[in-house]
Amino acid sequence: MVGGIADLVRHGLLLKYVVASLFRVTWGFVLAVIFAIPIGLTIGWYRRAQMAFNPIIQILRPISPLAWIPIAILWFGVGDLAAIFLIFMGCFLPLLLTAINAVQSIPLVYINAGRNFGLRPAELVYRVLYPAVIPKLIVGLRITLGIAWLVVVAAEMIAVSSGLGFLIVDARNAGNRYDLVVAGMVLIGIIGLLLDVGIRSLERVKSFRWSYSED
Amino acid sequence: MTLKKKILLCAAGWLVLVSVLHGYLNVNWAAVLNDYRPPAKRKIIVAYIPVTCQLTCPVTDYISKYSENGEMFLPRMFQGFPEMKEALISNKVQAAFIVAPMAIALVAQGVRIKVVYLGHRYGSAVVVRKNGPVKTFADLRGRTVAIPSRFSDERLILFRAMKVWGMKPDSIKMVEMAPPDVSGALAAGAIDAFSMGEPFPSQAEMAGYGRILFQARDYWPDYMSCILVVRQDLIDTRPDVVQVLVDGIARSGLWLDKGKPYREDAADFVGRYYYNQKPALLRWALTKPMNRVMYSPLAPRKADFDLVRDLMIETGVLHKKIEFDQYTDTRFSDKASIQTAWKYDPGIAVAR
Repeated sequence: MVGGIADLVRHGLLLKYVVASLFRVTWGFVLAVIFAIPIGLTIGWYRRAQMAFNPIIQILRPISPLAWIPIAILWFGVGDLAAIFLIFMGCFLPLLLTAINAVQSIPLVYINAGRNFGLRPAELVYRVLYPAVIPKLIVGLRITLGIAWLVVVAAEMIAVSSGLGFLIVDARNAGNRYDLVVAGMVLIGIIGLLLDVGIRSLERVKSFRWSYSED
Repeated sequence: MTLKKKILLCAAGWLVLVSVLHGYLNVNWAAVLNDYRPPAKRKIIVAYIPVTCQLTCPVTDYISKYSENGEMFLPRMFQGFPEMKEALISNKVQAAFIVAPMAIALVAQGVRIKVVYLGHRYGSAVVVRKNGPVKTFADLRGRTVAIPSRFSDERLILFRAMKVWGMKPDSIKMVEMAPPDVSGALAAGAIDAFSMGEPFPSQAEMAGYGRILFQARDYWPDYMSCILVVRQDLIDTRPDVVQVLVDGIARSGLWLDKGKPYREDAADFVGRYYYNQKPALLRWALTKPMNRVMYSPLAPRKADFDLVRDLMIETGVLHKKIEFDQYTDTRFSDKASIQTAWKYDPGIAVAR
């Protein structure tokens, strides 16, 4: 395994592949955040919207992002876009559900209090809704980033020619290079851990952690 | 600066950093820019997977980079046939090396592609465990054999052998497996044999746990597996480009069949710059013996394809009889027949 990683460093592939995987995860994840959270908050806020969209969400939810692979290739070809799309599909619904759930679990008394203080709708969103949902959203972001990292490896096995997932499938093609396969697995594990540590640091921000119980 | 702004700034900075690094390290800008050139000037993308049945694709690309006209097409490596097929259907690639039965099945299902040339002849084998219980083909009765795809000639060859040995079609259990996995599976005893294209039989042989039970040609004279298909719209709009491609493949085939030094050079540059396989493995597959896989003559012949089609119908993977001229276009191979091998001496240059 150490030999495998040393091999990658020697050929200048380590940085390339790590950057490629991080690039796809970042964009897939960020796009999912940009779309899923506002839509989720809106659906959660309006009960009728939730009743309307819930069935379709529940149908789409059990479909593995990997089942989208053939469609991703047909729509986006083989390249970064297909991989980013697969990661987006993997992240979008979990984030959407987290956002819906976060709005619905705001205690009614907060909203009523806000209204009694005469807050306008925009103020209500900014001063009550937003701080109330943040702690739950951060938990959702953490879980979803884990999913994104899981999906990138599978996406790179089919659709691209760089990245840590590609490293594994390419090593299989190269014959008896299982050292590279294990090297790829170890790198995926370490980077996944670092990503989790990064997003967990958000939990330590004081204004975000008002709802956590004190240790 | 508020904390929120700091977080947003960090996120945006990361997004820019990782995008710029990716663009610098990984993106093939020549391929990206190619998509934005006018259609008449765009280079076509040719899909291949890293097997010796498709060696003419990287060889043509490598040598043509030194020819007067420069590179002819953009080669694109895939890891499996399903993705290749999807990219071909959606016009993300315009030509591809796929297995012959898959090409026939796709045309039968209404995909507008044509077979214009072959990739190779021979070069597939059935491999069993060395010192294992399987001594002859009849010993495979009731055992599990791995094949690359239900639409593969490697599957059909098993049916041909079963017929010769008087075995029933269901007397061997066939499982579809990704070619890179079969050597490991054979060594671990998960399968009893595999029927695959090179270099996977060579890999098992080189590692010492595999023994060739028979070569495809033993039961199928003039065996062929991977063939070159091109989208019909490309044939209609840019036949000259298709001709250049077929000519190039023909020249590479003749070049590869010129002798051992040529094969060894190909094993070296294809292994290092294209397939990412050990050159020693490809050298084994290409030279032990030399006729293990051949690269000429590669013009599509009706008799060969009729044989494949009839076997497909017989074994249940094709449901209607389609004729040779419905799925082939022999104009290009006819013209390519006057081509000669590349004037390129082995080992005179390194890839740019």
